[in-house]
Amino acid sequence: MPADAPSPDVVAVRDLTVAYDGAIAVDGVSLRVRRGEMLALLGPSGSGKSTLLHTVAGFRPPTTGEVWLNGRRVATSRQAEPPERRDVAVVFQSYALWPHLSALDTVAYPIRRSGSGRRAAREEALEILDRLRIAHLANRRPAELSGGEQQRVGLARALARRASLYLFDEPTAHLDTHVRGVFLDELVVRREVSGAGGLYATHDAEEALGLADRVALLNAGRLVQLGTPQQVYAEPVDVWAARLTGPASVVNGVVVDARSDRCSVAVQGHVVTVGRPPAARVGDTVPLLVRPGWAQFGGSLRGRLRVVRFRGPHSDHLVETPTGEVLIREPGPPRHAVGAAVTWTLTRSWPLEAVRQQHRVARQSLAKQPT
Amino acid sequence: MRSARLAPRAGLLAVGAVIALLVVLPIFRLAYVVWTEGSASLDEVIGRPSLGDSIVNTVLLSVAVTVVAVPVGTLVALGLRRADVPGRRWWRFAMLLPVLVPQYVLGYSWTQAYARAGFTDTVLGVPWPSVHGPWGVWAVLVVNTVPLTYLLAAVGLATRAEPNLDRAARASGARPGSVLRNVTLPLLRPSIAAASVLSFVLTLESFAIPQVMGTPAGFTTVTTTIYRDLSLGSDPISFVEALALALLLVVLTVIVVVPADLWLGPRLRVTRVAAPEGAPIVTPPGATGRWIATGLGGYLLLGVVLPMVALVSAAITPAVGVSPTPSNWTLDNFRFVLNARNVEALGRSAVLAVTAAALLTVLGGAVAVLERQRSGRAMASLVTVTLVLPGSTLAVALLMTYGRWLGGTLTLILLAYLAKLWAFAHRPISGALDRLPAGELQAARASGANSLTAVRTVALRPLAPALLGAWLVCFVTALHEVTMSSLLYGPDGETLAVVVLNSGELGRIGATAALSVLLTLVMLVPAVLLWMLIRWLGSPRRLSDPRVRSLAHAR
Repeated sequence: MPADAPSPDVVAVRDLTVAYDGAIAVDGVSLRVRRGEMLALLGPSGSGKSTLLHTVAGFRPPTTGEVWLNGRRVATSRQAEPPERRDVAVVFQSYALWPHLSALDTVAYPIRRSGSGRRAAREEALEILDRLRIAHLANRRPAELSGGEQQRVGLARALARRASLYLFDEPTAHLDTHVRGVFLDELVVRREVSGAGGLYATHDAEEALGLADRVALLNAGRLVQLGTPQQVYAEPVDVWAARLTGPASVVNGVVVDARSDRCSVAVQGHVVTVGRPPAARVGDTVPLLVRPGWAQFGGSLRGRLRVVRFRGPHSDHLVETPTGEVLIREPGPPRHAVGAAVTWTLTRSWPLEAVRQQHRVARQSLAKQPT
Repeated sequence: MRSARLAPRAGLLAVGAVIALLVVLPIFRLAYVVWTEGSASLDEVIGRPSLGDSIVNTVLLSVAVTVVAVPVGTLVALGLRRADVPGRRWWRFAMLLPVLVPQYVLGYSWTQAYARAGFTDTVLGVPWPSVHGPWGVWAVLVVNTVPLTYLLAAVGLATRAEPNLDRAARASGARPGSVLRNVTLPLLRPSIAAASVLSFVLTLESFAIPQVMGTPAGFTTVTTTIYRDLSLGSDPISFVEALALALLLVVLTVIVVVPADLWLGPRLRVTRVAAPEGAPIVTPPGATGRWIATGLGGYLLLGVVLPMVALVSAAITPAVGVSPTPSNWTLDNFRFVLNARNVEALGRSAVLAVTAAALLTVLGGAVAVLERQRSGRAMASLVTVTLVLPGSTLAVALLMTYGRWLGGTLTLILLAYLAKLWAFAHRPISGALDRLPAGELQAARASGANSLTAVRTVALRPLAPALLGAWLVCFVTALHEVTMSSLLYGPDGETLAVVVLNSGELGRIGATAALSVLLTLVMLVPAVLLWMLIRWLGSPRRLSDPRVRSLAHAR
């Protein structure tokens, strides 16, 4: 093993490329999951998050690159340790429960494989089922369980593995709040005892941002951005990332002053100060991200109200402006009628990098307006 | 309104009547004749030593073939699930190849390859004399049955053992062997049971292979005894023996099939179909995959390729003992067998097979459609039973019932094909109908299509591969069918398969080999062409409009 082995992160993936069936599913991704951390892999379907997860679990070997678990190299293109010898637990898409085993035996299965006797394994399994409040379903088979119950059995099986890494392969339904609570508590305990970590693949931004300590955005097999949920939501690298992580309006501004740490941008002639976008010069047009809460009515910018939607606690107003459409979210019922001329201000914005060639999807969806 | 309700009922009655006339009535007639005619001489029949021998042989053979063919087929399916087997896709196809060789031809080719003075004896000096007799029959039946057991196990893996179930076990810390024991095999149990039942029943009713390899060595089975009694025996006792044995075959089949069907029926019903490519764990290419490929290659080489080479070699050498070197090659055997009489037989076979396949596709489709109503379900079960109804029994029963009017005519053979192969046509069409999403026809109707247009535009296209497949299976099976044809043909009415059988019995080696090659080619060429068409129809259509393509690329 080389001397420059990475510090014992739970997972370290280095320059990982995975190709199969003539397509590159994961393309040169490097990332790490620290001890006690939950990292979400967020991307649309086909972005390679499942393949990445499968490669970490040991279901598929890397084409190039390496996978390290707890400071141990477990997979290269030539050698891959089988899944049972990696210290991982997996929660599967649609749960993958064995149709011929009861919930109890399903959860006891990983305990049995780690060498416990049948009785001891069943006792421990029952305890885990009880913690997830499904002990009364212990003798049922998957066909006799509802979707939510199946999900809990799948989670219980993963917990029973007592692994240092938990992998979630797009559990089809959201984790319900109770299960999520129990599970995260469990992870906290594991974090203190052994420093367990989690890798959570999902296409649902809300779930990823709410669940993870850090979020990795994947597009067409490439890592687009890696950061805390706050970072990827408030400071996405480009329009594609902005739209992936939540409702996003984009208005165009012209750079009027560029200094080393920040720059000023004129929107409809009114100057706002934003963090400095890379490689922007005076006179450049930059797209500015505006999240729903970042603009409000009143002020000096002008626009016309195109769509109004009442959403209960708040109302969404889509305002057509000379520089682009802006979604303004204000508490309470709608403030103005459709077609009214309104004024508005930007309270916050984030300069986006110019759209790169690889995000053609994003450019197309730019044409579609948020609703 | 009234006519709409009447039409399916009329269809149900018509199809039900055909089943009654083709299957139910003849079987009852057979039982009745055995009961009345046989009551006097049945004691005498049971006293014949050949009877007991053939029954014991048949049952032992069926058990021996099943005990080997099922594990081998399952192992092959499991092996070909691994992603590290080089040429996996090709092996999947190659494993089914032995089915495309007519049973008679496969058996005959083995005798040409391994018997004394056969191919291995001439070339290597290594004969296997017991290829004539029970061991040879057993080996060839295994080779003939493995594709079926493999296919059932592979379908079982694809539909029941979703890759994630294996992955979940591995990620839970289980080693491959433990996963196989605890997860994969329990999931496969219904498929393995079905494969065992089918293997047992098909061996029970097999005729061509025991006839060509067993009879010369004095090894008899129930089917070969029926054939001997009816075609060679002239005394009334032989006749009663044949009838009794035919009835016994169907009783044996029912004893095995009915309990199995009751247990398996609900367990084999699946709705989701996974990708057959799904290997649960992909590993970097290693030695195991190469060993599997080598094993499969060796098996196919010894089981099919070498015998076929021996067969062709026997067909192009002038006489036994002449070494099969290019200087000795000749087409004399082919010239000899391509006489007017045999060409007529070929024509009869082709007409019979084409007609039977066309009628069967219609009949199979009719049952598949009618079984969707509650009242049609019993009919579908009855048709499925004909799948395991022994050909010998069916032939004898039809002869008993309609022989007075149709004896010795092609029509009687056609009726036998229809009765025997109905399930072959019904199964694929019914399966395709099951996979047709229920909403699709409704969506077409809601989009403004009338019922006929809806079927034509929405259902026919996805059903086309199944309809063609059903036709192809019936055509190929009818073409080389010999069990029933050999009992039913009349003077100047042989089919090509019967000609081959008779030629073999006359001991003309070169001619029989040439005829076998011809029969295989006649069957193989249309089969391959149509199979390619089915593959093409079944493959997802490429987007052909350039504008659509450019849009698809931009995505």
